[in-house]
Amino acid sequence: MSNPYIPSIAIIQEVREETPDIRTFRLKLKEGEFTFTPGQFIELSVFGYGEAPFSVTSSPLDREFFEITVRKMGILTSALFKLGEGAMVGVRGPFGRGWPIEEMKGMNVLMIGGGIGIAPLKPVIEYILANRKEYGEVILLYGARTPSDIVYKRELEEWKNTIDVHLTVDRGDEKWKGRVGVVTVLFDEIEVDPKETYSIQCGPPIMMHFVTKKLVELGFGGDRIFLSLERLMKCGMGFCGHCTVSGRYVCKEGPVFSYSEIKNFIETAI
Amino acid sequence: MKIIEVRSLPKDFTEEFIGRLLENFQVIAPVRRDGRIFYERIADPHEVDLEYTGRSQLPPKRFFLPEKEVLFTYEITTEGILIYDRSEELEGLKRIFIGIRPCDIHSLKILDKIFFGKFHDPYYGLRRKNTLILGLTCNEALEYCFCAYMGSGPSIENGFDLLLTDLGDHYLVEIGSDKGKKLVYHNIDLFRSASFEDLKERRRILSQVESDIKKEPFPDLNRLYEALLKNFRADMWNKYGEVCLACGKCNFVCPTCVCFDVHDDPNLDLKSGKRVRVWDSCHFISFTRVAGGLVFRKERPSRVKQRVYHKYCYSVDEIGMFSCVGCGRCIETCPVNINIMKIAREVTSL
Repeated sequence: MSNPYIPSIAIIQEVREETPDIRTFRLKLKEGEFTFTPGQFIELSVFGYGEAPFSVTSSPLDREFFEITVRKMGILTSALFKLGEGAMVGVRGPFGRGWPIEEMKGMNVLMIGGGIGIAPLKPVIEYILANRKEYGEVILLYGARTPSDIVYKRELEEWKNTIDVHLTVDRGDEKWKGRVGVVTVLFDEIEVDPKETYSIQCGPPIMMHFVTKKLVELGFGGDRIFLSLERLMKCGMGFCGHCTVSGRYVCKEGPVFSYSEIKNFIETAI
Repeated sequence: MKIIEVRSLPKDFTEEFIGRLLENFQVIAPVRRDGRIFYERIADPHEVDLEYTGRSQLPPKRFFLPEKEVLFTYEITTEGILIYDRSEELEGLKRIFIGIRPCDIHSLKILDKIFFGKFHDPYYGLRRKNTLILGLTCNEALEYCFCAYMGSGPSIENGFDLLLTDLGDHYLVEIGSDKGKKLVYHNIDLFRSASFEDLKERRRILSQVESDIKKEPFPDLNRLYEALLKNFRADMWNKYGEVCLACGKCNFVCPTCVCFDVHDDPNLDLKSGKRVRVWDSCHFISFTRVAGGLVFRKERPSRVKQRVYHKYCYSVDEIGMFSCVGCGRCIETCPVNINIMKIAREVTSL
């Protein structure tokens, strides 16, 4: 039996700067292809610095490589930022339960992202763009702290051709002409039919708390609201205990949960 | 009715028996140090103390999930990164665990459920598979023992290869597996046949232990589960949060607390090193900290609750078992006298 703690070796193929402290890394496994479901995560090893979980952000249709988008935050991510093309890292996974992309077919999709929380939504967008006819109206609401913190700027411009994209920032600057305010302000720009729409969201807990409240007010049922929870998954397999919420393992049973599930948790998730 | 096969082992032959086991196995057994009992690897049958009462200071888990364990070593070379899987070294392990209590045997069944689920933990798995269990029932209950309420003692029906009961000048030996049978048959010169009286005496001792344990009340487990679900926001948790020092001792002495942290230990050349896992505690504030500094269980009551709820609530949904064996170690060890039996009684009386 293979040992699930042993990472596969991957090579960094490309590094793109998204913001001053966020980069996207394109990785290629040394051996074999990489397949995943949007919303799943990997455990990335920077040898000597340990391992940390990151959402896969590339299209699930690409199997030759995959990408992760990382904010420089601590020791491991700082070490990763020093690595360039050709450097080697370790990869375990993918792990967890992703977004219900099959179940959403034939329906409208409302996506809400906050900050780097847009990362796990990106593979859904990529998948929808490749299968555009299978989904109804598709809306993305995205909030960042400041205009320079907006990630995927180039992609957002492209996505605007195919899906409805709305942006806001917490604090604007002299050049910013768009909306200012938290992501929930964008709800007044859109019209959705909760009966025909799936909502999927990822962002800080406080954002997801208020977005979920808003969605419930709009009439979304608990099984039409999906959230990706952030926790520190150390092992990815439901052993180490770090990621539990209300006894549920975010690594194994999530990170995507429906609000129907979350509202029955005795411990607060968002 | 379960048919059991029993033998008798005269105490005069115990050392000889352990001596023979040492020829073929690594032997882990109860050893007395400064008046306290520890499970340790032994080299000589004289070290073994099978006369001890109650619980060992530390549970058996460290022999299956060591407090610090190297998962693999890595080497960064010009050719690439080489990884050496350390679980392979456990393939040839051959151990026997002597004198382990029924509650602790039960704890291993709980760990099996955790580590042999959707994913299989090879380090735990190999250690577990390659370790025979030679249990020893209790002749008396200690303060804080409550196995009788958790279904994990004082008698136990399976989970052992051999099970000993101290009957004065000899042990009643119950055979629990084919491997256990082999141990007896290969050393048949040391064993005698057991009598009906021996079985009756064992039953008498164990029911005495059980009734001694039950002098201190503990709620019905279904009621406890329901009461916890209902009282997550009760005031009582604040009281425990106020006194808990968040030291994590209860986790480390618990036979079923298995949470761990994973990190790298680089060598001084920075080109090689090891990935290790070390025991962690849900009482530590760092336990739920994510990148950027957000801590999900920041307040101490939430961390006190986490352990209690995991034992009597979450684990029932997760693995279909309560993950407490009633060994009483957390009660004995807590520096501020937090008593999980009292918590159980309190929450069910709300």
